[in-house]
Amino acid sequence: MTRCEDTGKSIGRWLDGELNPAQSAAVCEHMSDCPACGEERRQLEKIETTLRSVLVAESARVELAPLWREVRQRIERKRAWYEGLLERSRELFTAPRAAWAVPVVIALLLGVFSLDSYWPGWRFGASRNSFAAVDSIDAHGRSVALLRENESKTTVIWLYEDQEVENEAAEEESKSSPAF
Amino acid sequence: MKRLKKSLSLVLLFSLVSIAVVVGGEAAEKVPQAVQVTIRTILAGNKSDEFDPKLKDMEAQLKPLKYRSYRSLKDDGQSVPWQGTKSFDIPGGRTLTVVPQEFQNNRIALKVRLTQGDKPVLDTTVRITNKGNFILGGPPHEGGTLVLSISAAAQ
Repeated sequence: MTRCEDTGKSIGRWLDGELNPAQSAAVCEHMSDCPACGEERRQLEKIETTLRSVLVAESARVELAPLWREVRQRIERKRAWYEGLLERSRELFTAPRAAWAVPVVIALLLGVFSLDSYWPGWRFGASRNSFAAVDSIDAHGRSVALLRENESKTTVIWLYEDQEVENEAAEEESKSSPAF
Repeated sequence: MKRLKKSLSLVLLFSLVSIAVVVGGEAAEKVPQAVQVTIRTILAGNKSDEFDPKLKDMEAQLKPLKYRSYRSLKDDGQSVPWQGTKSFDIPGGRTLTVVPQEFQNNRIALKVRLTQGDKPVLDTTVRITNKGNFILGGPPHEGGTLVLSISAAAQ
């Protein structure tokens, strides 16, 4: 891009006072050296001056008093309670505020589903799924019962001996160490 | 426009934090390195009506067993690494060997083996809720019956 193209793009902003001091100085310097850019500046200044004079002339004819009266009336008018509520809800659900709702809902749902990782058993208290599941059991020939106690949610594995073995065991128990 | 950009940045940040919380939660479930296994040995009998106050927290679990007395003999707790093996001495020359196998859906799979001397008495694999327990009972001891409460908590 040439220097003239750069300056051409910046003249409008320079006239509006939007450039910083360094940019402004560079544009001024180029316009004073470059006849084409200087001419463009003069044209833009002319348009601006013309527009301003037209606006000033026209605005003198505009009746502003009724407009301000209407504005004041609206400000001073007491609003019904639901109007304020409607306005606030409209503000709340208008983008970009409504954009909050989506991640908030997602985060809440994910939070509900992941809460169990941080706080196991929160959903239905400590009793939730507290029954133990027995995958396999081998009592090596002895009788065994698997019981589930609903009130305390307790799984009980109970070992029994056949009566014959139990009697033998009882005898052995009295002699030496106990057996099943 | 600036407000919109700011809002969108906050929304993005909020979403990232939410995802991090959820992913962190998932990771939290996978993190446990070991299991605290606790064995409570209780002697149940019918010779008296004694209920050991130390067993107050287990009253609801013990009462359905229909014995008249419950006395705590010993409490033993050990930290066991996954797939590691730990043995607990049980009165009457018995040994309870516990192997934590896996942690899934907040449940701990425990392989439990009860032996008396060299003879195996019971082999079982049980999945219990993290910080939950199950009861293993039946072995006779000193005129009563042994009741073992086997609990596990992921660490």
